[in-house]
Amino acid sequence: MTTPTRPSLDDPALTIPVDHAGIFEPIPLARTERQQEFYALKDGELLINMGPQHPSTHGVLRVVLKINGEKVVDLDPVLGYLHRGVEKLCENADYHQVISHVDPLEYIASLFNEWGAVLSFEKLLDLEVPRRAEYIRVLSAELNRVASHMLYLGFFALDLGGITPILWSFAERDEIMEMLAALTGQKLLFNYFRIGGVNGDLNHEFMSRLGDWMGRAGAQLEAGMGLLNENEIFVRRARGMGVIDRETALRMCVTGPNLRASGVPFDLRRAHPYSVYPELDFDVPTRSEGDSLARFLLRVDEVRQSLRIIDQCLHQMPDGPVSARLPRLLRPRPGRAFSSVEAPRGQCSTYVISDGTDQPFRMRIHDPSFLHLQLMGLLMPGNLLPDTMAIMASLDPVMGGVDK
Amino acid sequence: MDRALKALLERKLGPSLEGPVRQRQDQTEIRIRPGDLPQVMRTLHDEHDLRFEYLADLAGVDTGTTFQVVYHLWSEVTPDWLRVIADGIPRDEPRLPSLTFLWKGAEWMEREAYDMFGLVFEGNRDLRRIYLPDDFVSFPLRKDFHLADDVARSPGGGVRPMERTGAPKDADETTLRRTSPGA
Repeated sequence: MTTPTRPSLDDPALTIPVDHAGIFEPIPLARTERQQEFYALKDGELLINMGPQHPSTHGVLRVVLKINGEKVVDLDPVLGYLHRGVEKLCENADYHQVISHVDPLEYIASLFNEWGAVLSFEKLLDLEVPRRAEYIRVLSAELNRVASHMLYLGFFALDLGGITPILWSFAERDEIMEMLAALTGQKLLFNYFRIGGVNGDLNHEFMSRLGDWMGRAGAQLEAGMGLLNENEIFVRRARGMGVIDRETALRMCVTGPNLRASGVPFDLRRAHPYSVYPELDFDVPTRSEGDSLARFLLRVDEVRQSLRIIDQCLHQMPDGPVSARLPRLLRPRPGRAFSSVEAPRGQCSTYVISDGTDQPFRMRIHDPSFLHLQLMGLLMPGNLLPDTMAIMASLDPVMGGVDK
Repeated sequence: MDRALKALLERKLGPSLEGPVRQRQDQTEIRIRPGDLPQVMRTLHDEHDLRFEYLADLAGVDTGTTFQVVYHLWSEVTPDWLRVIADGIPRDEPRLPSLTFLWKGAEWMEREAYDMFGLVFEGNRDLRRIYLPDDFVSFPLRKDFHLADDVARSPGGGVRPMERTGAPKDADETTLRRTSPGA
């Protein structure tokens, strides 16, 4: 009987060449053209991980940075830490259940995910939504947009080292969240929109809170932004940082405020109107600089426009039912529908295929943050490591949406 | 529905179109062969009276027998969404040209389609998994990938024969080699 021979540690086939020896983990196999280029280190270059638990990555994102001294040479974002397979889950849920599956995607502004889904289902069903329901949708969604932008404005300042603004903007955001909680019953993932309408009518607590808040919202916003707009340190760190020009923005499929900050007036509420937006009077602010500061200031302008829309909704709110009458089990005719809404971060669209059963045959969810995160690879090389935060925070990705 | 767009598309893309231009609500749909993608998209993007400059979405679809890749485009000349369906991509050889030469931003969307369906976009320089780990072997949005549990079944379940529950079917070595970009 022979004993199996153990390989000797001195065997040259088993020792790792010093050049490739990683300290914490082996360097992944270079396979694609891009990976080969990224993982080939030149003299003086170093790979480090930022994340997955890094406060400035706004969620669970790992970025492999290739740095030379303090300068970022290249980067490779590693996604998927929050991947839940929502698209597959939606294919195995019925049309009503889908709403609660898409809710936690972009968890900062979850009404917009719901809106994209119900809009496409309504197209599949050729469904007419009551006008009061449309107005309530616009009202609650614009409130959610303000809450989302408030969070952005605060966190952007926090990433640049200013602590006070987040306390101010969180006070506003929290008031809106309490308001929406009174309306929908939940404080973060609202699960409020239904196919053909909304879950419940406006109630007294919501209206009284909203009335109080609207009286002071404008002044509060100006006061809060006065902290930043006139702050020299903040402005000088954000200006000229991460510039995207018009052509690059279109080529990279950027949408939302990030695109409008590059001078393209593309807002789906005007470019491809849905719901009752054609009846409402608001502007689409744009800026031409395309840098971090422009993206910041553009969102401040958007909050002002949202306040205008909310005001009009309250004045024009019609009476009537808040939901169409639908059977519990929906079986749309076989067909395809695509719908897109302007979420706070850009275009949030849903593409759904029905095969005549009660479950979507295919449900595709497109999230704007996913494509904005891709911009990082374009904007960060050449900048200093601390400035990557100023760029990334200004793009406003939400990892819940990126990872689906 | 934009009737003028239908006539315009038929005139500009005539021979590339597979079947009629379909229109419903605010969507116009054309079907093309996957091989024609670069030329058709170039026309849609560059022609002065089309100007579909903005790629809104890229979605893979598994019909059960073949794959499709569905692009949605937006242009300021029309109020419609344009849906371009690259139809009839064979399941055993799912290859089609990449659009990264036109929209660099499609790179990650193509990576996602590769991750979920195993679609190989030729010309994408970074075609690897994006959400799932590198050593994952199957493609979860394919219709032969079954969810392990049955909790999400709705009362009307059982009507779709493809969606039986079972363990995820792992792709074997040959499938892997065929669908990985290096091979």
